[in-house]
Amino acid sequence: MLLKKIIIALVVLSSTHVKAQLSGGFESNSALYIDDAKIKLEQIEARQRFRSNNYLRLDYKLKDFTAGVQLESYEPKALLNYSPNLNKTDLGTYYIKYKNDQLRLEATAGHFYEQFGSGLVLRTWEDRQLGIANSIAGGMIKYSPLETIHITALYGKQRNGLGFDFTDGTFAGLNTEVELSSLLKIKKVKFGIGLSYVNRNEKKQVYAGLNKNTFLTSLRGDFSAGGFTADVEYAFKSKDALVEFNSVRPDLQFDGDAYLLNLGYTKNRFGINANFRRTENFGFYSQRKSAGNVYNEAVLNYVPALTKQYDYSLTNIYVYAAQPNLSFEPNRNKAGEIGGQVGLFYQFKKETPLGGKYGTSIAVNYAQWHGLKGRYDAVQRKYAADKIAFGQKYYRDASLEIRKKWNKKWSSVFTYLNQYYNARYVEEATGEVNTNTVVFDNTLRLKKSKSIRLELQHQWADAGFKNWVASQLEYNFNATWSLFALDLYNYGNNTANDRLHYYNFGSSFNKGAYRVQLGYGRQRGGLICVGGVCRFVPQSAGLSLSLNYSF
Amino acid sequence: MSKMFTAAILIMVMQFGANAQVLPNVKLSTLGGANFQTQQLNEIEGKPVVLSFWATWCIPCLNELTAINDNLDDWKKESKFEFYAISEDDSRTAKRVPALVNGKGWNFNVLLDKNQDLKRELNLMNIPYTMVIKDGKIIYRQAGYVAGNENELYKIIKENQ
Repeated sequence: MLLKKIIIALVVLSSTHVKAQLSGGFESNSALYIDDAKIKLEQIEARQRFRSNNYLRLDYKLKDFTAGVQLESYEPKALLNYSPNLNKTDLGTYYIKYKNDQLRLEATAGHFYEQFGSGLVLRTWEDRQLGIANSIAGGMIKYSPLETIHITALYGKQRNGLGFDFTDGTFAGLNTEVELSSLLKIKKVKFGIGLSYVNRNEKKQVYAGLNKNTFLTSLRGDFSAGGFTADVEYAFKSKDALVEFNSVRPDLQFDGDAYLLNLGYTKNRFGINANFRRTENFGFYSQRKSAGNVYNEAVLNYVPALTKQYDYSLTNIYVYAAQPNLSFEPNRNKAGEIGGQVGLFYQFKKETPLGGKYGTSIAVNYAQWHGLKGRYDAVQRKYAADKIAFGQKYYRDASLEIRKKWNKKWSSVFTYLNQYYNARYVEEATGEVNTNTVVFDNTLRLKKSKSIRLELQHQWADAGFKNWVASQLEYNFNATWSLFALDLYNYGNNTANDRLHYYNFGSSFNKGAYRVQLGYGRQRGGLICVGGVCRFVPQSAGLSLSLNYSF
Repeated sequence: MSKMFTAAILIMVMQFGANAQVLPNVKLSTLGGANFQTQQLNEIEGKPVVLSFWATWCIPCLNELTAINDNLDDWKKESKFEFYAISEDDSRTAKRVPALVNGKGWNFNVLLDKNQDLKRELNLMNIPYTMVIKDGKIIYRQAGYVAGNENELYKIIKENQ
């Protein structure tokens, strides 16, 4: 009923006002899980074999005002391993916004997404693949008193599930950015500063000796001149209770902090970029009891893994997830992480020995992450971490990517990746894995917009799942239709029964703003990661259908 | 859920007769760190403006932009248009963008949409996603990329001279 009313209201409004605009989007992802000889749903999950996640977003704009809703439907049930809070059909988000560019003013009431600086102290965002939809519901004002000074103030509660379900904390945030060089009319170099403050008030659950307010603050600066850029950030979190196995320990309180440094240099056909970061006890949730939850619910800040994000199936088996949290366990104490990465890009010129007729492009990346070195006492729950010292190694990778066009028809991307992955610390599982992975991705252009893509991959690993081989073939009839078939084969698995083929085939249709994809096959279990934030999914088999439309 | 489907279908049908959507005004930033209001793109008159949404980690996006970059000089000789590649990298990878763009020798404008504000306002679910606007109106959209799509894109550019 609610849905009907909203739609009728929007339709009537947009038909009566000529200048009004209705826009939106619809996305639907469904699966019909079908057991095969090797892959079966768990009994509890098998009660509902058809699952569907659906999102309908509508925005209505009239002059300086925009109002919108997002309706979400998880019926009969959400896809495997989404939070149980996402169920049935209800409002996901709703808002009204006033924006006037002459006044340099924007005011929002209802749900909104916002990020302060790099997101270390506050970021709310939506990622449907991960089941993250942590918008803030409340009020936000953005105002620029001068063209070079930007202020954001917000107040609200964080979305949890659907409808009017929020987490326990209430928070207030203030962010200021000043483009100093422009303010001072300096042209040759560019520099600015930013300052953020976020306070969480959690009074629903009172604990003796625990302050109901927790705050995060961040100070940062950026500088650029010519092809050189640098920015630096320091963030601090006030004392907060340790959360262990979903229980809040007011008797154990720790503060946290984070340092971030980014450097970059570019010249024609060359670019290099380096990031360094140290985080200590820097996870932040909008309610204490959610700390470290597996569904990434109530996350209020963004501490992404600063490693290169790979896009091929076998390069995504051992994915590093950032480790900012504090936890005590004999022989597996963690207080945060320290490390960095360097990325380099270079283009060999056309008509040179390495460049060939069309030029050759290379990308090199190196990343390494460690735990914080220090003195830990898992029994007393005490620790002291050194500032700049590397503890237990968590992850390392080195990769090379070469992109080459051989002739007018054939182009290739070659990727080599070498990884060390410490599953014991990163996944709190067991073991350490060393891998070598190669990917050879080829595109062949045929006549009349037809094309073929063939991807060949192999991974050698000394532990974990051991060796894999994979390949993918895609045939594109034109810009609209394509067929695909792929197979990942874990032929090296120690357990003969787990030496499975994860095959998939299907077709996709893309026309204008429409996209439809239908597939059948097996889905490998493991972590699905986007932006270094991961969601665990069990392996499954069956049919999948996804629909997208935006207008 | 069936109600929601009905609603979605109803809206899709209605949209066939509706006016073309206008690009919303959202604050992006340039590679140099300056603010860029997307309103500026709506104010470009009389020629198509191509917006290509991408990210450093998205292989099909890199395939698309590489193919477009290879053709850009030839296309510019024949037709008048503007081209902007809008990066949807978040703070995990946004710092890689300038290095990658220069390292690939790309010769087009690149803008950053660091918290996906424009992507959200346009309701784009996945990248790559390419759209063409002319005089502030969105006249063409293409979700996804396969080799050869750039020919389709250039046809739209030529038709809208």
